[in-house]
Amino acid sequence: MSDVDSKQVQPMLSLREIRKTYVMGDQVVNALDGVDIDIYPGEFVAIMGPSGSGKSTLMHIIGCLDAPTSGSYLLDGIEVAEMDDYELANVRNKKIGFVFQGFNLLARTSAQQNVELPLVYGRRKDRAERAIAALEKVGLGNRLDHKPNQLSGGQQQRVAIARALASDPLIILADEPTGNLASLQSEEIMQIFQELNDEGITIVMVTHEPDIGRHCKRTVTIKDGHLLRDELVENRVMAADLLVEMRQEHDLLHTA
Amino acid sequence: MNIFECMRVAVRGLISNKMRTMLTMLGIIIGVAVTILVVAIGEGASARVQQTVADLGTNLLTIWNGPPSMHIAPAAALAASSGTSATSSNGVPVPPQAPNRLTLQQAEFIQQNFKQTVAAVSPIIRGNVQIRMGGTNATTNLQGVETTYPFVNNASVELGSFFTQSDVDGNAKVCVVGETVVNNMTGSPNTNVIGRSIYINKQEFKILGVLTPKGTGAWGQDQDDVILCPITTAMHRILHRNLTVDFMGVRCTSVKMMPLATQQIASYLRVEHHLQPPFPQNDDFEIHSATEILQRQQSITGTMTTLLSIVAVISLVVGGIGIMNIMLVSVTERTREIGIRKAIGATPRDILLQFLIESSTISLLGGIIGIALGVTGAVILAKLGGWNVIVDPSSVVAALVVSAGVGIFFGIYPASKAAGLHPIEALRFE
Ligand SMILES: Nc1ncnc2c1ncn2[C@@H]1O[C@H](COP(=O)(O)OP(=O)(O)OP(=O)(O)O)[C@@H](O)[C@H]1O
Ligand SMILES: [Mg+2]
Repeated sequence: MSDVDSKQVQPMLSLREIRKTYVMGDQVVNALDGVDIDIYPGEFVAIMGPSGSGKSTLMHIIGCLDAPTSGSYLLDGIEVAEMDDYELANVRNKKIGFVFQGFNLLARTSAQQNVELPLVYGRRKDRAERAIAALEKVGLGNRLDHKPNQLSGGQQQRVAIARALASDPLIILADEPTGNLASLQSEEIMQIFQELNDEGITIVMVTHEPDIGRHCKRTVTIKDGHLLRDELVENRVMAADLLVEMRQEHDLLHTA
Repeated sequence: MNIFECMRVAVRGLISNKMRTMLTMLGIIIGVAVTILVVAIGEGASARVQQTVADLGTNLLTIWNGPPSMHIAPAAALAASSGTSATSSNGVPVPPQAPNRLTLQQAEFIQQNFKQTVAAVSPIIRGNVQIRMGGTNATTNLQGVETTYPFVNNASVELGSFFTQSDVDGNAKVCVVGETVVNNMTGSPNTNVIGRSIYINKQEFKILGVLTPKGTGAWGQDQDDVILCPITTAMHRILHRNLTVDFMGVRCTSVKMMPLATQQIASYLRVEHHLQPPFPQNDDFEIHSATEILQRQQSITGTMTTLLSIVAVISLVVGGIGIMNIMLVSVTERTREIGIRKAIGATPRDILLQFLIESSTISLLGGIIGIALGVTGAVILAKLGGWNVIVDPSSVVAALVVSAGVGIFFGIYPASKAAGLHPIEALRFE
């Protein structure tokens, strides 16, 4: 699996024989058909696979947003299936930061208030400072009062990342965070993720673009609800370097 | 999320949907406004009756003509401008078949013979008259009274003097006028009219005094639109109804003596009128006490209050259902928002609270607007209509509590629906 060192420490996530079955009338869809994954602290994992392979379903289960039909999922050593609604809400609030493909920000609500929301539910007193710090981290310190409809797609996604970061989660989960963005914006998002991972935050993200997957440290490929491949990334792409190149090209285009 | 934050979010949501919010609140607004207004009117009316009874004194009895079944209620009689025509309960005039009417002699007898229980008797005859003073004409209520009138009816003269026994004995053309009459005749209630002449049904009377104003009576009548003259003068010179009187006031020696006084007077009148048992079915007179009038008014007010409370409750329920409906719409519209909130850690209780606060904010705001409208209505009635209205602070507090309660009660179902949503299904909702 992954590097030998991390095997000594306890996995942060440990999924065993996870199944998710959707029954629609007489049609049964096995979205996940026995998935085993361990993810260790500090990892940066890309989950890849074709459309309909069960990536989102897996992410929702990891994010405690949905329950598996069967199987065991230990988060930070605790069995998620045994948690009640309030414990699950608490886990989502404190241990997990979720970034959606469609941003999912509250409309008519400023960037800062959006980022404060998990802190409000977490009943934290220092939420304004934390929200501002998180927005500064994603480069939006100057957009605190902008509403989602006053921000570009890339900026909205960065607000969503700031929201996921705000309550210091153990892990950030991102379901196609770059799926709705152009390549430059995608690269900027990946740069933020790489910086966060360098600071020690564990990240799991879904993508079906191999180029994006190569920014991560490990890729897990699934197909038809099965684990197909699990490999370390060689020749990892660093977004910071790529961005320098992209911006130079961009400038050349415009000066020519 | 604390309550104030929830309220801020709720109010912001409501403001962004002003029209819908207003329409939703309408039921609550109407219910609360009606309740406040009705309670204010009811309180005002009973306060006025209590005041009247207190003014008259609780040891006052009144004796009326006519069998109870044919006699119009004293309340209506007092308010009615005509003192003579008898009307049945359905408003159809009945022929004057009761031969026995109260007389001056009977008043005299009661006064002289029941000294232990009766302090004074004030027989009264009354009718509508034309009055003229200078060039000004008006109609008013003339009451022919004895000199016992001020004592029995708690009346007094503010200026000048009341007429004397010799005026009564001599059918003197003298009178005492109420303040409204002074105002109507001279254009100002403060004009000094003592010693001046006033024409009552074209006969010249001398004004001896002006009555201390009594204001509006228990049934909204103007108690100062009145002229008092000796009862003999009224009988022989103006109304031409010799010896029979319309009613009499009996001031008892004490409240304790009232049952005995009632009994003595009734037995005397039954003998005098040659009545056959059973009594009181065959009585051709009625004896009432002031407290009885008070009780009657209170029971009328009670019935009114009950009826209008039902109306208020119905409109609050309708308003509540409106709130429930709009909250269900709101939950559906905001399914994605609920999904987002749940995904980032809102507990079912957080969501429940958010929607409950929203629904109770709607109804509370509606309640506040309703209170404002109700109080405004009460003030307008008092200012323009001259009604006696009292807005009791406890009814305002009750209205606030009830409207918040309606919001919470009818918000529970939509709010628990929102709280129970599955995060992923909510996020997928289009
Ligand atoms: N609520 C649902 N009811 C029924 N079937 C579902 C439901 N959600 C997902 N599925 C099915 O489960 C399978 C996996 O879906 P999932 O959304 O996980 O795919 P995915 O890998 O994220 O695809 P994509 O790359 O297109 O986002 C699909 O076949 C889908 O039709
Ligand atoms: Mg997906």
